[in-house]
Amino acid sequence: MTSLSKISHHPKPETLAAYAAGSLDEARGVVIATHLSLCGDCRLAVRDFEALGGVCLEAVEPVAMNESALASFWTRAGVQERSGRTASKLAANDFELDAAHPLASYLKDGIDSIEWRAVAPGLSQHVIPAEGYRPGVLRLLKINPGVRIPKHTHGDEELTLILRGSYTDEVGDFARGDLADLDNEVIHAPLATGGEPCICLIATSAPLRFKTLVGRVVQPFIGL
Amino acid sequence: MFGNLAINMTGDSPSRSPETATADRMNSLLIKVAADGDREAFNVLFAFFAPRIKGYLMKIGAAADLADDLAQEAMLRVWRKARLFDPSKASASTWIFTIARNLRIDAARRAAKPALDPNEPTLLPEHEPLADAKIGIAARDERIRAAFSALPSAQYEVIRLHFIEDMTHSEIADHLGLALGTVKSRLRLAFEKIRKDLGDIVE
Repeated sequence: MTSLSKISHHPKPETLAAYAAGSLDEARGVVIATHLSLCGDCRLAVRDFEALGGVCLEAVEPVAMNESALASFWTRAGVQERSGRTASKLAANDFELDAAHPLASYLKDGIDSIEWRAVAPGLSQHVIPAEGYRPGVLRLLKINPGVRIPKHTHGDEELTLILRGSYTDEVGDFARGDLADLDNEVIHAPLATGGEPCICLIATSAPLRFKTLVGRVVQPFIGL
Repeated sequence: MFGNLAINMTGDSPSRSPETATADRMNSLLIKVAADGDREAFNVLFAFFAPRIKGYLMKIGAAADLADDLAQEAMLRVWRKARLFDPSKASASTWIFTIARNLRIDAARRAAKPALDPNEPTLLPEHEPLADAKIGIAARDERIRAAFSALPSAQYEVIRLHFIEDMTHSEIADHLGLALGTVKSRLRLAFEKIRKDLGDIVE
């Protein structure tokens, strides 16, 4: 079983609130949903923010429904059966991506069947189409042990969720389930640690900005 | 019609706000719908929530007829999924908000939905609720409601714009003529205050 208590890096409250409000772009929504599937504390926080949404909904100025709305509602309801589904208890405790997992619809054949594209020695990626109505980029990045990503900052915001392995950077040590919620004030150069490749799910809303010449030279090739 | 609801409900507990009484009533109606498919109870839920969902959708730019149609669709999801409503996890308002929100996201053609279905049973078990989180959901909502309405108006407004008008942080900044950092810090302060009032800040 997964030890939830090991997660030590969480999304910022305003990021969880934006998720609850439904205002995150699709890419970041997927990253947060995946973190939530691993983090009970953050699920509780999202629930509070959803309750805030409920209170806001109560306070919305009502706009009268069309006269026939209720009648037409019951017509529609009449032809559709109520759901008899009852909750079954399954545990999505690893990235085996059962059908209900937030990532499952994006990775049809699971995480081990991904076609990685090498972008630099020890570094490969897989871009996931996630073009919601707000722009954002979703990708998986695989960093081999001992490989360091060149120092960079972010145009706006970046969410990085560790799915496998671990890395360390200026912010701290990150392992499976940990999420780095970074903005343009953070400059970092993550180094993959441990014995297996580090696989991260990353959502960016703008291109990364590399701080070093090597980074800027590498950037066009990495496509970050 | 809504006035009657509030008046009917304030009798037994004079210290509670009309909003809380209405919210309690909505919870028990939804429980009836969940248990027995009670259509009368559902009609009252419809009368309260459908016009508010319509108002919510119109605020974010849906035309009146589309908003009417989507509000019906949201209520259809409420009717069909009512058996999944778990009053120990969310109030009726919260649950219906998440349904309307997800419908809006779907309608905005984020086709493969990233939103986590709050009723999705495949999630890991949650931590034991913290001591103060064991207060009932109704009391919890009441505290959230009280904390929300007690916020300074600048913080109240950014939250309203965020949750109801579906503005991103940078859209709120543009709308109010503020720096992005100011919007974020107002949201953060508001959330800290609300969570502090709930008494279960997770550290």
